[in-house]
Amino acid sequence: MVNYVIRRLLLMVPTLLGITVLVFSVMAMAPGGIGANLLTRGGDMRPEERQAMMEYLNRRYGLDQPMTTQYLRWLNNVLPIGYETQADGSRGAFGVKVPDLGMSFVKNRPVIDLVAEALPVTLLLNALTVPLVFAGSILMGVYTARYRGQALDVGIGTANLALWSVPTIWMGVLLIGFFASEQYLKWFPTTGLESLRADTWTFLPLHTEAGWQRGFLLDVLWHMVLPIACLTYSSFAFLTKLTRSAVLENLLADYARTARAKGASDQVVLWRHVFRNSLLPLITVAASILPGFLVGSVIVETIFSIDGMGRLVVEAVQMRDREVVLSITLISGLLTLVSYLLVDICYALADPRVSYE
Amino acid sequence: MSEAVVTRRSDRRESESFSTRVLRETLARYGARFGLAWIAVVALAAVFAPFLANSHPIAMKVDGAWQSPLLTHLTWIDLALLAAFAAAVGAWLLRRRLSGPRRLAMVALVTVVAAGTSYLTLSPPMAVIFDQYRSGLADGSIESAIFAPVPFSPTDRSRDNPLSLTPPDALHLMGTDEDGADVLSRMIHACRIALGIGFVATGIALAIGILYGGIMGFFTGWVEILMMRFLEIFESIPQLFLLLTVVAFFGRNIYLIMAVIGLTSWPGYARYLRAEFLKLRRQDFVQAAEACGLPIWSILFRHMLPNGVAPLLVGASFGIASAILAEAVLSFLGLGVVDEPSWGGMLNQAVGPGGTFAVWLATYPGLAIFLTVFAYNLIGEALRDAIDPHLQRQPS
Amino acid sequence: MGNRFGLKDILLYLILGGILVSIWLAMVQMDRQWLLIRQTQGQLEEQTRDLADIRRQLQRGLVVADGAGASAAASQWGGFARALQAEQMPDYATGDWYVDYFPDDLQKLTPVLSSDAYATVVQQQVLDTLITRDPETLEWLPLVAQSWEILDGGLTVRFKLRRGVTFSDGEPLTAADVAFTFRFVMDERVAGPRWRAYLSRIKSVEADGDEVVFRYEEPYFGSFELAGTLPILAEHFYGPFLESDEAAEQFNRSTGLLLGSGPYKLTDPRGWAPGQGIELVRNERYWGPVRPAFDRIIYKIIQNDAALLTEFKNGDIDFYRARPLDYRNLTADPSVTERAQSYEYYDARGGYIYIAWNEQLDGKPTRFADRRVREALTYLSDRQRMCDEIMLGYARPANGPFNPMGRQINAELPTRPFDLDRARALLKEAGFEDRDGDGVIEDADGVPFRFTFTYPSGSDDYKRVVLLLKDLYVQAGIILDPEPTDWPLVLKALDDKTFDAISLGWTSSFEIDLYQYFHSSQMEPGGDNFISYSNPELDRLIEQARATMDEETRLALWHRAHEILWHDQPYTFLFWRSRLDFIDRRIANVQRVRAGLNWPGLWRMPGEWYVPKDRQKYDR
Repeated sequence: MVNYVIRRLLLMVPTLLGITVLVFSVMAMAPGGIGANLLTRGGDMRPEERQAMMEYLNRRYGLDQPMTTQYLRWLNNVLPIGYETQADGSRGAFGVKVPDLGMSFVKNRPVIDLVAEALPVTLLLNALTVPLVFAGSILMGVYTARYRGQALDVGIGTANLALWSVPTIWMGVLLIGFFASEQYLKWFPTTGLESLRADTWTFLPLHTEAGWQRGFLLDVLWHMVLPIACLTYSSFAFLTKLTRSAVLENLLADYARTARAKGASDQVVLWRHVFRNSLLPLITVAASILPGFLVGSVIVETIFSIDGMGRLVVEAVQMRDREVVLSITLISGLLTLVSYLLVDICYALADPRVSYE
Repeated sequence: MSEAVVTRRSDRRESESFSTRVLRETLARYGARFGLAWIAVVALAAVFAPFLANSHPIAMKVDGAWQSPLLTHLTWIDLALLAAFAAAVGAWLLRRRLSGPRRLAMVALVTVVAAGTSYLTLSPPMAVIFDQYRSGLADGSIESAIFAPVPFSPTDRSRDNPLSLTPPDALHLMGTDEDGADVLSRMIHACRIALGIGFVATGIALAIGILYGGIMGFFTGWVEILMMRFLEIFESIPQLFLLLTVVAFFGRNIYLIMAVIGLTSWPGYARYLRAEFLKLRRQDFVQAAEACGLPIWSILFRHMLPNGVAPLLVGASFGIASAILAEAVLSFLGLGVVDEPSWGGMLNQAVGPGGTFAVWLATYPGLAIFLTVFAYNLIGEALRDAIDPHLQRQPS
Repeated sequence: MGNRFGLKDILLYLILGGILVSIWLAMVQMDRQWLLIRQTQGQLEEQTRDLADIRRQLQRGLVVADGAGASAAASQWGGFARALQAEQMPDYATGDWYVDYFPDDLQKLTPVLSSDAYATVVQQQVLDTLITRDPETLEWLPLVAQSWEILDGGLTVRFKLRRGVTFSDGEPLTAADVAFTFRFVMDERVAGPRWRAYLSRIKSVEADGDEVVFRYEEPYFGSFELAGTLPILAEHFYGPFLESDEAAEQFNRSTGLLLGSGPYKLTDPRGWAPGQGIELVRNERYWGPVRPAFDRIIYKIIQNDAALLTEFKNGDIDFYRARPLDYRNLTADPSVTERAQSYEYYDARGGYIYIAWNEQLDGKPTRFADRRVREALTYLSDRQRMCDEIMLGYARPANGPFNPMGRQINAELPTRPFDLDRARALLKEAGFEDRDGDGVIEDADGVPFRFTFTYPSGSDDYKRVVLLLKDLYVQAGIILDPEPTDWPLVLKALDDKTFDAISLGWTSSFEIDLYQYFHSSQMEPGGDNFISYSNPELDRLIEQARATMDEETRLALWHRAHEILWHDQPYTFLFWRSRLDFIDRRIANVQRVRAGLNWPGLWRMPGEWYVPKDRQKYDR
């Protein structure tokens, strides 16, 4: 097992390298170059100001050097071992150093700061979404499997497929349009994850003479209702279908029949015997779903104006903020690969028949 | 979609071949029927779009003589689609006389010839003034005219009577968008992009996936390890990132969007085919073929592929759905094609600046995307149920 | 994984997850409140120190002389005349907050480094300049400077500084600080290439007692403004960053280093970080004769249009800049008009939209090189219709680059109306007519008149304008292919001059310099004459005007330049947008002035707005 994990970890290295090479070359192919977009915000600059800005950035970030040099330089910076980079851009001593994700050209701030601001937001959304999706869909899946073949099961199955087919963009627009607009119901806020000035509130709801105050916790939850609804429904539908077929397959298996023959009640057979075995396919799917949440949040974060990773990357791509795009793809690539590995390990732990020796 | 399955595979027609059985069982499901019906509607709308929604009158009388501006304004794409449709109908009528591949070849040939000749010969007027007919009718220079059911072209922004963002009424059955164009007309013409993107993108992805997965499933060792890494690279970069990047950099060309969606969605098929091939390799008929000394390409693509392809078609059906979604998302983010109608692009206009919400712009295009995606998913699921004998064993 | 993993476990995990998330949220909130407490403590300490200072001064017998009367004060305090007048209003009161917003997130407040307009808005409240302008007469008035002289035909400007000006931390502002500002910006280690380029016209800045002297290489009409409007940075605050490369790097990475002598200040001049709004508090040590009216000025960051409107309707922001459609809807909404006053006005610094016709492609003249073609296209571009249909009447057609509010414009020139017949005639004269009956006009060689029209993607207004143009041009048989382009690619197209026609906007000012846009020397790479337009007479006029220091003579030259541009139509000038603002009725003394609205920070001095005592809303 340990050997297997080590081998997998080693195999990750070329893949990650490949990801960065691919993304770097796509960015390098960008017509108009990386430097030009820095001027996006100062579109109204005088020519001499623009010229000065270009020269400054080229000198500072080496944007006028050949692409391979730029790539190697970037790679050297993100690796924990390599040459130190001095303030003036020259090469320092070789050794162990702090990995540096670089500076965002457009925002003129370290990428690590931008990620540190955005990541917790996306994580918070997913920390609530993932358990909700899994718990809900497992319950629903088992429930439908028990009433297999009946009208209820067929109905729920079709409804699930329909739910799965609803485009997130449509769902988002409808939710905002009907539940957060002046014209219809103004139940929920449309944007962000907290009210303005919520930082001066208490954490829990507070009732004072002046009236009722929501408190920070409820405020955040209230803001997250629509985004989470948008993030959950399609994976919920998908997982429900998956659980249903997995449970069904196991219910019909010989061991379940044996258990029933031995006099175990339906409940016991279902929850004690069948259920655990049915979790296997869910684990596999978790791998493909988890990175999917990051992408799913691109759409949701755009619709609901939440400043998470999704917004960061969309903005960075549009502004050609190379270091930000590279860093985020690196992070998301790493997450994907690690979650694949975790799934394989969980698989082996959960199913004694699976072995990687 | 499932028709293609049949035509491609019916050369092995015995009493009831695998493909016929799959088709029969697929069609026995209401979901698949509904899905096919909806896609047929979309396809018909795509083919006959110029006759359904057009500002150019089908016929009009000027100085006592009748003429048809609609016909003179047809483009080569319109004609190619019409020819393809006619050929498909012909092929269906001749289904008892011709074998599947021949029918397929016939449709393809007719389409290509029609597209080629019309591309070379047709030159519809480039300068199009849509309001000339309406003003002509009003001032009497056009005596009478017969219009298509929806008398607006998708890019006709009614400059004679500008109405932007008006809710549905008798004139514009689905309202107008922010430029004043008729939403219903744009909905009808957008069917082309929706269908095209699904087929082309998935076609590209399938082709790459089959080739890549086949090779990976057959060769082991270093080749496989290297190829697997490459595949992982593509899997680890979210498709949306790449799509956004490429479109932001290289412009909003619908063909480019199709190609990129295709180029980023093949890893799934490749992975699936590899697994399938690994299983098949151990089977006797492959071993026998190898023993006979058949060339690798022959073993791979003549003997193994037909056995591994059925499940791929299920994936392809779902793939079409996700390709349509990808284009819609792109258009929604404001990176789609300009001026050309697209469902996602219209949806984008639903929530306007200042929080105004145009219900008609949210409902109709959204519903169209949803129904199309749903239809492909229904077909995909029905296909899977029909192909997978494991699930045939329905519990009592 | 236990053998009995079941329903209960799922619930357990859910509850556990919920608890973890709420613990984490609680910690976040606690951290922020701790920061608030620290901030309040800082303020308290500062106030205690100030109190101590005052007590000490009183003990020493220093008497603060009262002004002899408002009128005397007004003449003495040049730039503050209007603010002093506001103070005389019967219901005048200090206190309350003014809550504004930025529709885009702000990355840096640090001067020199920041490049966006929003940072400038904040800096205007915090940093002072030597001179200011009267918003009504537009004449220059003293601010930190007391008086000035222009010597050597504009090659030297000498400012005499006012005494007793202090920064918000109590340190005095001297001529040395002004000289330092120039030195600081010009230091190569500081990441401010843009400011550097802007100030490069200045040869040197020297402090001479309480006077500061600016010297220039050549006479230039804008050199006085350049010197007078340079924001003054505090040497004791920014100086240490020049001590070493590391310190300079630290400055370059900073986000919120902002300290000045203006009416407002940041509570923590080093602590602002992006991702939060901006809260300016009154600079209680402000040196001017008026106490800034608002306790706080708050800029929220609200990027979503819908949220913005909700905030405004709820009364959470006092200001709202509407788009035409919004404005029309909102002015008809009684709940909005009840609490906010609407203002439609032209901002002197607002810009205009234009179409630039590229006259040279790959070294060869294009069809747009023919003046008649450009004029015909101007006749076809129905500007009145754009203003009415797309801008809903909240814009006015433009016929030149000069602001209709300013004096630079030649008001006698008419704006060409939409005229299809004139356009057709001009095109025919230029050799374009429909030779093959397909509805598209061709030149003598049979090449159809078809061109791509580049415009920046992402803006709805541009898109709608371009689609309207497409439908208008086709009436004369011209095919326009719209090409929305990402901003970096727009810039590339401008640099390489590889476009047919492009639509863009320039911001404007009271007096702009045409050199950058229309002088033939600016065809060089990097110049803004990307259309390769050249007119020797215009070149001569521009050069002459730039070197003329006398305003009246110069204006006459500009008027003549305007006429040439109007005749040549190198651009088709489209329209000037009006500003459509709503301001809460709580705020008093909002006036329309020549420069737009007299909003706080229009120029660097305390604003004229205030909230009468009985209408104050935020009091703590």
